[in-house]
Amino acid sequence: MSRYELPAVVVEHQRRGANLYELILHAPPIAERATPGQFVMVRAVRTHAPLWRRPYSILRANPDKGVFSILYSVQSAFTELLAMKRIGSTVQTLGPLGSYFQPVRAARRHILVAGGVGAPPLCFFAARLAPTLTPDEQLLILAGARRSEMLVGLDEFRALGAEVRIATDDGSQGYQGYVTDLLAQALDDALETAVYACGPNRMLRVAADICLSRGVPCQISLDAPMPCGVGVCLGCAIPVRTPDGGVWYKRACAEGPVFWAEEVVWQ
Amino acid sequence: MAVNLQVALGRLRLPNPVMAAAGTFGYGLEYRDLVDLTRLGAIVTKSLTLAPRMGNPPPRVAETPAGMLNAIGLQNDGVDAFLLETLPRLREYGAPIIVSVAGETLEEYVQVAAKVSRAEGVAALELNLSCPNQARGGMEFGVSAELTAQVVAAVRRAADLPLIAKLTPNLGDLTPVAQAAVDAGADALSLINTLLGVAVDAQTRRFRLSSKVGGLSGPAVKPIAQYHLWRVRQALPDTPLIGVGGISTPDDALEYILLGAHAVQIGTANYVQPTTALEILDGIHNYLQQHGFESLDALRGLVG
Repeated sequence: MSRYELPAVVVEHQRRGANLYELILHAPPIAERATPGQFVMVRAVRTHAPLWRRPYSILRANPDKGVFSILYSVQSAFTELLAMKRIGSTVQTLGPLGSYFQPVRAARRHILVAGGVGAPPLCFFAARLAPTLTPDEQLLILAGARRSEMLVGLDEFRALGAEVRIATDDGSQGYQGYVTDLLAQALDDALETAVYACGPNRMLRVAADICLSRGVPCQISLDAPMPCGVGVCLGCAIPVRTPDGGVWYKRACAEGPVFWAEEVVWQ
Repeated sequence: MAVNLQVALGRLRLPNPVMAAAGTFGYGLEYRDLVDLTRLGAIVTKSLTLAPRMGNPPPRVAETPAGMLNAIGLQNDGVDAFLLETLPRLREYGAPIIVSVAGETLEEYVQVAAKVSRAEGVAALELNLSCPNQARGGMEFGVSAELTAQVVAAVRRAADLPLIAKLTPNLGDLTPVAQAAVDAGADALSLINTLLGVAVDAQTRRFRLSSKVGGLSGPAVKPIAQYHLWRVRQALPDTPLIGVGGISTPDDALEYILLGAHAVQIGTANYVQPTTALEILDGIHNYLQQHGFESLDALRGLVG
């Protein structure tokens, strides 16, 4: 466990979509240690409203340049404050935090299921995974969103040579329906597969059920209200199965955010 | 000018007045790489019960204007696991350790306190008589002067450690309960615990907490906590008081001391900025130096 609480300097602040912004931060200790699936707790201001830091999955990290980035859309008082950050200003940052996606080495096909704003940690994961794949291994991205303009990270995924299949609720791009439908279809063949998913919790529940019913190993990154990010407040409780068949709570921030699907109890 | 930050809360001596509040600092070790634990006035642990407790279903927390609601439900590993696994490691940091004790029954408070008092390296007990997130126990005791006196007296007999009673604000006037706790043998009082509240999500048309009701903390509660501290100070001028509620800056802490507090606890602010307690400690030190006060005694109660 190596994590750092420090002022990260904004080195770039780029628009990446209709209401999508990438904040590139210089914080070498975090950039060097960040692993795909991990997150940082970001503090936008020193005043009391909004009070909590916010967790952001790491979208990419470049240890050589000492930078990492997060992706956000402006939709709250907190993100309005983030949007005002200029190049050269600082953002108080704590990380890298939490668990990470673990490549399943036995798999011949890696399916990344990205639901809307759940894409960033999977972009990072794909970027680190792709160079390690052997010629007989496939990388398949299933990207879903409500509407076409809410899809995230498609260019990055394609640049890695991954096959990308798209689902939108309104049919404005790709298949009209849920991205989990694409997952069920993709699992119809007999390839040795591993699934890695991030998105709304209801999407993750469906993805987990599909994978578990077919014996496919599946890791999911779960979201929960998260006041502290470091395991002290016990606010981000996730119900999990215990070895003796009972239920207990783990912390999305400390044991998570990435869990094995079979562990999670959906309530 | 040399500044002396030591404080005495009855027989409990602390190197400085800035503590981490119960439930907001885990069992202490969680922050060891982010906060210099050796500099804290004390670490108050997460409340411990006799058996491990699972806590409430999520969602357990909700952000509110300049504050937050929590309904964790006293999830904890149980007193035995703490004494066996955590305490020996926490002791090595040298900061005084205050164990927060919770229970559903008077007997549970007594049993937990007795176990803790037999362990090595605990500076004091803080009785959580005020947790709003339990179906039984907790605040039931804290809103009654009679039950508070019974718990304090029983724990007093069972455990030979300095005893702090943490009071709930969820009654009009805290002074009868405060008086009862002191008469029953409490060495000091912490006030306040969280305030009862609810939060609603207009989009989903539901309560934001699974338990509906939670405890409010954070900067929003500071004026209420300071009011209660000031009132109790007037009624019990000789009792050491620990101010808790909405402290996130050195000035917040100094305000409590000016109103009569001997020490302060930092709670919700730990989540926002883990180093808050140490920043406040440095700020108090600088304030005393700049204004020519040699110790907190000269400052305490100046605003009465």
